[in-house]
Amino acid sequence: MWAAATIAFFALRLAGGDPTQSLVAQGLASAEQAAALRAELGLDAPLLDQYARFLVGLIQGNLGESLYTRRPVVTTIAEQLPSTLALAAGAIVVSLLIGTSLGIVAGWRPETLLGRAADAISAMSTGIPVAVAGILALLAAAAAARVVPSVLFLTRAGNVALPAVTLGFATSGALARAVQAGLADSRSAPFIVAARARGIPPGWRLLWHALRPALPVAVSLAALQAAFLLSGTVVTETVFSRPGLGRLLVSSILQGDFPVVQGLVVLAAILYTTTQAIADGLAVILDPRLGETS
Amino acid sequence: MRRRVFLLGISAALVAALAGGCAPAETARGTLTYGLTLSPTGIDPHLNASAELGIPLSSVYDTLVFQDPETGEFLPGLASSWSVSDDGLDYTFNLRPGVRFHDGSAFDAGAVVANIDYVMSPDNHSQKAVFMLGPLESVEAVDDRTVVIHLNEPFPPLLDSLSQVYLGMASPEALETWGPAEYQFHQVGTGPFRFVEYVPNDHLTLERNPEYAWGPEIYRNKTARVERVIFRFYVDVAARSLALENGDADVLGEIPIHESRRLETSGEFVVYPVPIPGQPMQFLFNTLKAPTDDLSVRLALLTALDRAGIVDTVFGSTSPVANGPLSASNWGSSAERLPDHDPRRADRLLTEAGWTVSGGVRAKDGEPLRLTIVAPIWGNNPEVAQLMQAAWEILGAQVELRVVPSFGELKESQESGEYHVIGINFFGTDPDLLRPMFASDGIYNWTGYQDPLLDDLLVRGGSSSTSQAEREAIYGQVSQIVINQVLIVPVRDYVNLVVANRRVQGLRFAYAGWFPLLIDLQLAS
Amino acid sequence: MNLRARFALLWVAVVVGLSLLAPILSRYPPGQPVGAPLASPSSAMLLGADELGRDLWTRLVLGGRSSLSASALAAVITVILGIAAGLVAAVGGRQIDVVVVFLVNAALAIPGLLLALLLVAGIGPGLPAVILAVGFGGAPGFARLARQAFLQGQTATYISAAFALGAGKLQVALAHLLPNARAQLLPLAGTYFAWSFLGTTTLTFLGLGGDPANPEWGSMLNVGRSHLFDAPHLVLLPGLAIALTILAVHSLAGALAQPGPPTH
Repeated sequence: MWAAATIAFFALRLAGGDPTQSLVAQGLASAEQAAALRAELGLDAPLLDQYARFLVGLIQGNLGESLYTRRPVVTTIAEQLPSTLALAAGAIVVSLLIGTSLGIVAGWRPETLLGRAADAISAMSTGIPVAVAGILALLAAAAAARVVPSVLFLTRAGNVALPAVTLGFATSGALARAVQAGLADSRSAPFIVAARARGIPPGWRLLWHALRPALPVAVSLAALQAAFLLSGTVVTETVFSRPGLGRLLVSSILQGDFPVVQGLVVLAAILYTTTQAIADGLAVILDPRLGETS
Repeated sequence: MRRRVFLLGISAALVAALAGGCAPAETARGTLTYGLTLSPTGIDPHLNASAELGIPLSSVYDTLVFQDPETGEFLPGLASSWSVSDDGLDYTFNLRPGVRFHDGSAFDAGAVVANIDYVMSPDNHSQKAVFMLGPLESVEAVDDRTVVIHLNEPFPPLLDSLSQVYLGMASPEALETWGPAEYQFHQVGTGPFRFVEYVPNDHLTLERNPEYAWGPEIYRNKTARVERVIFRFYVDVAARSLALENGDADVLGEIPIHESRRLETSGEFVVYPVPIPGQPMQFLFNTLKAPTDDLSVRLALLTALDRAGIVDTVFGSTSPVANGPLSASNWGSSAERLPDHDPRRADRLLTEAGWTVSGGVRAKDGEPLRLTIVAPIWGNNPEVAQLMQAAWEILGAQVELRVVPSFGELKESQESGEYHVIGINFFGTDPDLLRPMFASDGIYNWTGYQDPLLDDLLVRGGSSSTSQAEREAIYGQVSQIVINQVLIVPVRDYVNLVVANRRVQGLRFAYAGWFPLLIDLQLAS
Repeated sequence: MNLRARFALLWVAVVVGLSLLAPILSRYPPGQPVGAPLASPSSAMLLGADELGRDLWTRLVLGGRSSLSASALAAVITVILGIAAGLVAAVGGRQIDVVVVFLVNAALAIPGLLLALLLVAGIGPGLPAVILAVGFGGAPGFARLARQAFLQGQTATYISAAFALGAGKLQVALAHLLPNARAQLLPLAGTYFAWSFLGTTTLTFLGLGGDPANPEWGSMLNVGRSHLFDAPHLVLLPGLAIALTILAVHSLAGALAQPGPPTH
C-alpha cells in the first residue's frame, strides 16, 4: 500500500513537470501566486522532502488540495464515492450470481449443451471489453423500449441496474472459470466418490460437497477481480454517463489536477490490498486445509 | 375524467389570467430536472467564467439592471432607476427598497459595494467579472439606497455587464463567512430561487423562494411555479438525448441536430433553437507564426474551405453560416462578403506566394507546408477542425490536429505559440467583447495581429461616449478589417438547440441566450 | 486444435491480413469526406460513410491497423521489460531478487489499467503516450510470471552445469534460461497482447488517443457514441471488432498453453 502510494507519487512527479505553471498559463494564478503555491505545496523543496511530506499527510488522512478547486482532495473524493460504491456493490452481486451459476453449470455438467453454452458465455465475459458491453446494453435497452417503453427507465442515470449488470458480467468470467475448474477437479475427488458410495444422492447436496473445495479459489479470484472492478468503473461510468470516482479520475487526468489523481490512485491501492487481505482470510475460513498447510 | 376537465378548466383560467396581465393566484408544484452540458471547475459567478454556471445561477441572483429578452433594452432590476453623468464617468443607481437576501439580510448600497470589492480583490482571481467592470475606479455608497460607480474613462458596456449573473448581487455576510474557496457551495442571492446544494459533477439543486416580490418586469410570474429545479450534468453528448427520453432530464441544451430532429418527430419533445449573441464559432489564425503570418496564405486557406458545406455536415440547416467576427443577430454586426469557396483560387494564391506542389507535397524553399490546428473538445470544434484539416490536406499541406479537453489546456497551447489555427469564441451582447481579442494588447489577442487603426477603432467603440449609431459604424469597420486581414475563419452563428419535454411550459431565455428564465417555467400535469 | 481455437486463428489471420493490406484495401484517404454524412452502403462505399462523410470501410481497416500496431508495440514493451526484470531477478542473486520482487509487488498494488491511466496523466494524452503507458502498465504482472518461469528453469541440472563450466550470468540467462522458458512465456505473451489491446482501446475510448482524424478502433467507438441510436453501426463495427480480437487472442493463448490433444 505504501509502495503503491510511492509509485503514484513518483510517476506523476517525474513525468508531470510543474503543475503550477499550467495554472499561470490558464490565468488562474499570477506568477507570484504560483511561486507562493509552489512553496505551499512544497514543490520547491527537494523531491525527497516532498515525498516525506506526502507520506506524513497520508498517515494523517490528508491527501492535499485540488489544484483547480482548492478544496481538500478527501472531500472531493468523498462526494463522488457513494455513486461509485453503489455501482461496485451492484456489480459484485451480479458478478457473484452470474459467475457462480455459469461456473456450476459448466463444471458440473460439462458435456451437456447447457454446460457448453455456459462455458462459452464465461469466455465471452472475459473477452468483451466493458465499453463494448455497455454500449450493447444501452442499445438493447433502447431496442426493448420500442416494444415496452417503460424499459427506458433502466437507462436513467440514477438507475444502477444496467451499469451494474455490465460491469458485473465483465468481472464474472474469471469467477466462473474458478468454480468450473474446482468442480471439475472435485467431481473425481475421492471424497465425492465416497459420498456417492455412502448413498448421498447426486444433485444439490452432492453439488454442495463438490463446491466447497472450489470456494476458496473462487474467493481469492474474486478479490483479484476487484482490481478489474476498479478500472472497470472508469469505463462503465463513462459509457453510462454516471457521476463517480472513475469520471473524476478521467477528468482530473485531462485537467492535470495531479493531487486528485494521486489521491484516487492511493485510494484504489488501499481498497485493492485490503480486499486481498480479506479474501486471503476468508479463503482460510472456507477451507481449513489452507490454514494447516501454510 | 371529471378531474381532468376540472384541471383543464384551471389551466384555461390561468392562461386567461396571464393574458389579462394580472397576477394569478400562484401555486407552485413539482420538480423540474434541467440538464447542463459542462461541469465547470468552479461556479462562483463573481470568480468563474463558465457560461454554464449562469443557467442555474441567473435565477439565484438579481442584477442591478435587466435586459429585455427580445429588444435588449435595459430595464430596472435591483436598481429602480439610474443616471449617467454627461462625461460618462459616473453611474448613479437608486436601489429598490424591501429586497432581502435568502439568508434574511437586507439588500442595500453597502451590499453592492461589498460585491464589487469581492470581484475586484486581486486575491480572488476573478476570471470574468473583473474584466466586465472595465475601467472601474471606485464604487461608493452615498446612502443606504444610493450607490455610485466611478469610472476612469467612459465605458458604455457597463450596463450590459451589470445585467449579467457574473455581477449578480450576493449576500455580503455569506461572502464574508465562506470566503472565495467555499462560497460557491453556499451561494446566497436575492433571486426567485435559493441555492440548496451543489455536488460537483453530480447535481445542483435550487428551491423556490416564496418571498420573492421584487422581480423585474421581464418575469411574467411573481414567484416561481415549480418547487425545485435540479440540475444534472450531461457532459457526454452521447448521453443527452437518452436522458431526455428516459425522463432523467426535462430540459437539455446543446443537443446534436440529428438527435433534436428525432426527438421532435417523436412528438413528446419540443425543440427551442436559441440564438446566442456574441461571436460566432470561429478559428483564429496565428499571424505571428509562419506560414500563417502571410496574408495570402491565410486567404488561400480560407478560400479552400467550403464553410457552408462544413456547417451543413456538422450542424444541419438550423445554424446560419457565420460571416464576420460578430453573430448576425448581434447589434453592431455587419454582413461581410467573404471569399467564396474556390479550391483553384486557393491553389493559385499559394503558388503565387511561393508554395508549390511537387509529388503531392506543397513546399516553399524545400520547407513543406505544415499547419497545426488546436481545437477545444466542446461545441463540435473537433468535427469542424477535422473537415478543415481534410480541405487543407487536399491543398498539399501537412495538418496536425490537437484536440484539447479544457479551457486551461487551450490557453496553455496558445501560450506555447505552437499553433497556426486555434478555436475560441466569446459570447456576450455588447460588441465591446471584440476588444480583448483584436486589440494589440488584448488578453485574448491570439491572432497576434497588431494594428493601430484597429486599436483606435476598438477604443473608440468601447470607451467613448459616442452614440449607438456611431458605435455600430465603428464595429462595422472593425469587422471589415478582421475579414480583409483574414484573422479568423468564421464558422457558424451559435444556435443552442434546447430540447424540452412537452410537459415543460413557459420556457424562455434571457437576451444573452444561454440563461433560461426559470421563474416562468411550469410543469403541466 | 479445437473448434474455438480454429475460429480464433481465422479471425486473427483476417484482422492481421486486413491490417497489413490496409493501405491497398482502403479506397480513399481516411480523413477526406467523400460522400454525404451517414450515407448508406454503396458500391463506391462498401460500409457507407461516417458522421463526417468519410468512407467507413477505409477507416475501419486503417483503424484496425493502428489499434493492432499500437497494442503490439505496447505488448513488446511489456514483454521486454518483464523478461528483463525476470531474468535479473533469476540470475542476479538473492538480494537483487528481493529488490525486484519488492518493486514488482509494489507496482502490482495498482491495477494495471489504473497504472496506465496514471502514466498517461504524467505524459499527457496522445497515441504514443498510450502505447508507453500500456506497455509499462502491463510490465509488473508479466515480470512476476516471467520470474517464476525462470526460477523453475534455474533448478534444472544443466543450468548448474553451465555455471560450473564457468559461464557468465548474462550468458546463462540468454543462452539457457530464456529459451528454456519459451514454452511458458509464449502463451503468456499472447495473453499480454490481448491485455495491451484491451488497454490501448480502453484508453483511446476514454478520449486519451490524440488526433481524432487518425482512425483507431477505440476512438471510433468513443466518437460513434453520439450517433448510437441513429447509426448504431458506427459503434457496433469497431466494438465487435475489438471484442472478437480480444476473444480470439485469448483462445489462441489458451490453445498454445495446452498443446496436447483436445479433451474431447
